[in-house]
Amino acid sequence: MDKEQPKYHPTFLHTRREALIIVAVYVLALLWAVPYCYFKGYALDPAELRVVWGVPAWVFWGIGVPWMLANIFTIWFCGFYMEDDDLGEGDTV
Amino acid sequence: MSGGSAALYTFVGYIMAVFVLAWLANRLLKQRSFLSEYFLGSRSLGVVAFALTFAATSASGGSFTGFPSKIYSHGWVLALWIGSYMVVPICMMGLIGKRINQVARIAGSITVPDVLRDRFQSPAFGLLATALIVFFMAFNLVAQCKAGSLILKTLLSGVELFHQTAFSLGEMVGGHGYFSGVDPEYLFCLLVFGVVVVVYTAYGGFHAVVWTDVMQGVVMVVGVVIMLPLALNQVGGLERATQQMARMLPPERGTATLRLEPGADEDYAVPVGTWLRSGVRVLRTAGPVVIPAGGEVREVAVLEIATPEEVERLLGENERFVAHAALRVSGIETKPYVYGSEAPGAYVSGPGPSRDAADGFLPLSLAVSFFFMWAIAGTGQPSNFVRLMAFNRARTLRFSICTVVVHYSLIYFPLIIIFCCARILLPGMEAESDRIMPAMVVFLTDNAGVAWLGGLLVAAPFAAVMSTVDSFLLMIASALVRDVYQRNLRPDVSEAQIRRLSYLCTVCIGVGAVVASVNPPQFLQDIIVYTGSGLAACFLGPVVFALYWPRATAGGCMMGMVGGFLAHLGLYAAGAGVKGSFFVPLRVLNMDPILWGLGVSFAASYLGGRLVGEVDEKLVQKFFYAR
Repeated sequence: MDKEQPKYHPTFLHTRREALIIVAVYVLALLWAVPYCYFKGYALDPAELRVVWGVPAWVFWGIGVPWMLANIFTIWFCGFYMEDDDLGEGDTV
Repeated sequence: MSGGSAALYTFVGYIMAVFVLAWLANRLLKQRSFLSEYFLGSRSLGVVAFALTFAATSASGGSFTGFPSKIYSHGWVLALWIGSYMVVPICMMGLIGKRINQVARIAGSITVPDVLRDRFQSPAFGLLATALIVFFMAFNLVAQCKAGSLILKTLLSGVELFHQTAFSLGEMVGGHGYFSGVDPEYLFCLLVFGVVVVVYTAYGGFHAVVWTDVMQGVVMVVGVVIMLPLALNQVGGLERATQQMARMLPPERGTATLRLEPGADEDYAVPVGTWLRSGVRVLRTAGPVVIPAGGEVREVAVLEIATPEEVERLLGENERFVAHAALRVSGIETKPYVYGSEAPGAYVSGPGPSRDAADGFLPLSLAVSFFFMWAIAGTGQPSNFVRLMAFNRARTLRFSICTVVVHYSLIYFPLIIIFCCARILLPGMEAESDRIMPAMVVFLTDNAGVAWLGGLLVAAPFAAVMSTVDSFLLMIASALVRDVYQRNLRPDVSEAQIRRLSYLCTVCIGVGAVVASVNPPQFLQDIIVYTGSGLAACFLGPVVFALYWPRATAGGCMMGMVGGFLAHLGLYAAGAGVKGSFFVPLRVLNMDPILWGLGVSFAASYLGGRLVGEVDEKLVQKFFYAR
């Protein structure tokens, strides 16, 4: 009979998958915040300045909104997606 | 209660609380395995302790001194500069948190070099990591001690007892070679800061550091949350502040001649920040100067307000101009900012005004660099790795990330709003913008009639720098005691000896840092940036490959570590050659050296893994496969 193939530890597989998702979220945040702020907020004529709740519109949409969405995603990701893995000896689960 | 005595009471209460926490932590030390408890808290941190120690350690003194100063000086573009904080908690804690904790448990590792050594069974790798940690953190420790002392000096300014004691200390040591020329108030603050941090860290170990971090994390949030409504209320709403900023021009810097009319019969000391007027021009001194009776001083550094509506408003506020009636100003020569002075609008748009950079404060390439700097370089800090090895279970990590998200959101974006308001409320502070945080606190609380609150709010930056110093102190001590002595020289050392050595080592490193800080190098913020980015360039790549790539080898990861170190150092050294200062690094393609350091480190770790050394299948089995 064939010997059973060893399997990767589930904690390793989960952490690797979660790390890849986090990297993707980081890239998304970078691609939203920097280009948006650059195109909408650089070398701006003050006569064209729009504000939202007192914040320059380019900061509101380029930083404030993605910051809020990132917070919502992070809380969902950590609260409902991330696995409660066994970390090994001394884990108090 | 006056602002000065409020600060003193707050400070004394704060220090007493710190010592109580250290005493409680020391009691824990007696009940558990010493080394694991002293340097890692026995991997037992729960949600509140883990989240707040992480947040407090990451937020060094810079968050409450350098960052507010930059917001004040460059305006709303700082929102983009700090923008990656939206993903900092999930990156710094989520990318490697669970995995490094698991690997450390499998190996029984207590320190970061331990993890790397055990993952590859390579003592050489452990020693290389130890050497780099000690190298970078020793420099950083000196810089942070200086920052802590300067913040304490600001906190206690106005307290008569403090000035008297510092004066006496200056009389005692002033003539001795090493202390000559040292500001006695700075020296006194350094001694107090050093003694407090060394005693509670050495006595209580990791848990003392963590519990004080929790308290410090709470102080930081409370400080910002109270300041925000006070600032918005006193500026008349954020929209009004932003619209006013849109009409602002950066001030002009230069020199002027100050002369005392013959009527004055005594020398006159003009403090920094003194308001002066000459016709319809409004100036502020940018440094202290003493004008001899009946004489003059040429080329006094001054700053001239350039925004017409601000000049008009200031000229109407006679109570600002309290300088000697016989003082006359002439020979004013000022230069406008290189970027942002041509037309209004620089404070509400990118790249922000800059005194000396023709492409502004934050050109696109630097905006990208800083997006990497905070989230990715922050993930590569060994002081964060240690904390990630200390939480008790995966559930703690999950809830802690959520807690840090809320904590950072309550601190960083509100700080931008508060110090944009400061531009309106406290004009002409550019010459001493590092003092903008305490100055704003005093202004807001005095105006609101709650001067007693000032002490608590000014304690926030002090708390931030203390929580960074204590962690670094313990990391260097653990590197020497555990990684060098126990694992390489005396594996059979007894627990009693380790205990004595750990206490001794922590105290010696702390004393060494304080002594070095008596005459610290200049370029405080630059040293902190160099060491922080250097650590990330060395550690992030090798640690990520060690944790996530089964085919990684010790040789490859060491190549990554050395490659990152040399690439990063090389760009700084090239800066010294080309631009005349080590702290003005060469920016290839206008990108910060951290990006090149990280790139080289990741590439070298991968290629090295393919080319250098054999993969040990037993170690792969141990760290990657289910048993």
